Amino acid sequence: MNDTTAAVRTENLWKIFENGDIRVEAVRGVTFRVEPGEFVVLAGPSGSGKTTLLNMIGGLTRPTNGKVWVDGREIGGLPDRDLAELRLNRIGFVFQAYNLLPVLTALENAEFTLLLRGSEAEERRRRVGKLFKRIGIEGLEDRLPGKLSGGQQQRVAVARAVVGEPALVLADEPTANLDMATSTSLIELMEELNRELGTTFVFATHDRHLMDRARRNIRLVDGQIVSDKRRD
Amino acid sequence: MIVAMALLVFSRALAEGGHEDWIEAGVRLGSGHVSLQAPQYRARKTIEYRLSAEDLGAVEAAISKPALNGRLVAAAPRLAVEGLASSASSALPVAVIGVDPERESNLSSLPEHLESGRYLEGDDRLQAYVGARLAERLGLETGDRFVLTAQDASGEIAGQMARVIGIFRTGLPEADEGLVQIPLETAREWLGVPGAVTSVDLLLDSSRSVRPVLRSLDASLAERSDAVRAIGWRESNPELDAAVRMDDWADYVFHAVLFAIAGLTIINTILMSVMQRTREFGVMRALGLNRGEVGRLVFTEGMLLTLASGVVGMLIGLAVVWLFFRNGIDFSSMMSGEMTAAGTVIDPVIVPKFRLVQVAESLLFVFAVGTAASIYPAWRATRLDLAQAMKFAE
Repeated sequence: MNDTTAAVRTENLWKIFENGDIRVEAVRGVTFRVEPGEFVVLAGPSGSGKTTLLNMIGGLTRPTNGKVWVDGREIGGLPDRDLAELRLNRIGFVFQAYNLLPVLTALENAEFTLLLRGSEAEERRRRVGKLFKRIGIEGLEDRLPGKLSGGQQQRVAVARAVVGEPALVLADEPTANLDMATSTSLIELMEELNRELGTTFVFATHDRHLMDRARRNIRLVDGQIVSDKRRD
Repeated sequence: MIVAMALLVFSRALAEGGHEDWIEAGVRLGSGHVSLQAPQYRARKTIEYRLSAEDLGAVEAAISKPALNGRLVAAAPRLAVEGLASSASSALPVAVIGVDPERESNLSSLPEHLESGRYLEGDDRLQAYVGARLAERLGLETGDRFVLTAQDASGEIAGQMARVIGIFRTGLPEADEGLVQIPLETAREWLGVPGAVTSVDLLLDSSRSVRPVLRSLDASLAERSDAVRAIGWRESNPELDAAVRMDDWADYVFHAVLFAIAGLTIINTILMSVMQRTREFGVMRALGLNRGEVGRLVFTEGMLLTLASGVVGMLIGLAVVWLFFRNGIDFSSMMSGEMTAAGTVIDPVIVPKFRLVQVAESLLFVFAVGTAASIYPAWRATRLDLAQAMKFAE
């Protein structure tokens, strides 16, 4: 069934890792749906399958079984080229370890996806400059990632994820390496972007603070959804 | 990678220089890079097979053609005969060469090996330039007289009195023990061959000029092909040819090893750079580059890295070549006395030689190695497991 209204939808999603005799069922028959503009947390203990689920939604890992729709497209059968294009145009990623490209400056990192899309330099600079000002890292444009604090690096990573105005941002433990104050300010920033741009955010996290701020909490245990709670 | 390329360029220039010096030393003590002689003379070295005055005129005309401009350094007419040198104390077999002293000193290195007295001069008549060992064995010193005996043009044994004007020592036994130079006109009169020579020997700017010069001379002397033949140093000096060919192979093997080391270094460098940046490539893939684009990125980066370091290494290598280009590198401390091989005294000072073809070959090598070295890392980059690459897995 094609579903063009959901930001993300999964149907009986499975991921099984096999290594010789060892077989791990990381995700077991997960079915859920995220509406556009939602601010959702996938929570659960280590090994519960939340990151694997996030990887499958982002097209970084292919499911063993089941289907995933992102922005209305079923991505399980897409060829590599189309998946790459989908990630470039429709999905933004924020990683726990920031994963900024070390040889590029903060500005170059943030404009990377725009560069891949073929945007003009002037347009790229304008959009990144506006975003940097908004998220409080104005003036750090020419710094290399090694010269930025963890919080600053994660803000650059968020800027990189949202600068292309994707439909969906997938964030894996984005606050795990940050102190409480920095973490709070980053969550507020993402809430603001979610509200103002209507971007859908899906997080995988352990962070109680982030879980409390999310409007929806999907809890995973042993690769299965055990609860899905919405906050009014 | 830079060091490997610099080493490669320098060692090739040094090998080339050593080679060229060796050939030049050989041809300057022998019959030049090219020798013009009667076709039968090479097999039977007697004055029966000589070049007449008319042939000599044709040869002089052929070597003054513009095609040889810039390649011809010196030309020396010679009249050589096997004979006997006799003094009051002894008689020994010798090779007697009648030479034009001025032209000879432009070609031959023999005048540079003067031990006592002086070299022959233009107006000399009965003077002789004699090898040191021969002089010792005949009990001769500068100013002493001795007699040269050989078969003349009519087949009679003819004698020629000569006076030692200079003694040379090359370190080469066959020259020091059995070579005598006398003025060309004296030799002609003695042997009854007015205006004739047995060869006109040419010194060229480099051994690489031999082929084009031979082609030009063959064309110029085509009408006289039954009387005059031009031969290169490889044919006139087969011993030196064999030694140089053997040395060539040793060079090929050495440089093949050096090229292999440089190639493996380059492959290792690029592969390491990919392995260390697995996460970076994973991030690029996650952000929207497809497999092919990441592969092309790594390939291009590998090529650029190889070319850049190859060019820098080559420039450093050429700078070192240039540094030693004027005075060469003196290896005399590694040699005890004169070192001879294949009828040649080896000069302990090797001057590296630079050729454009070396640059072209080195660039080609860098390009080939860069391509080979970049393909595997590029393929590896396309095979990355994205989740693993970014340690994105739980």
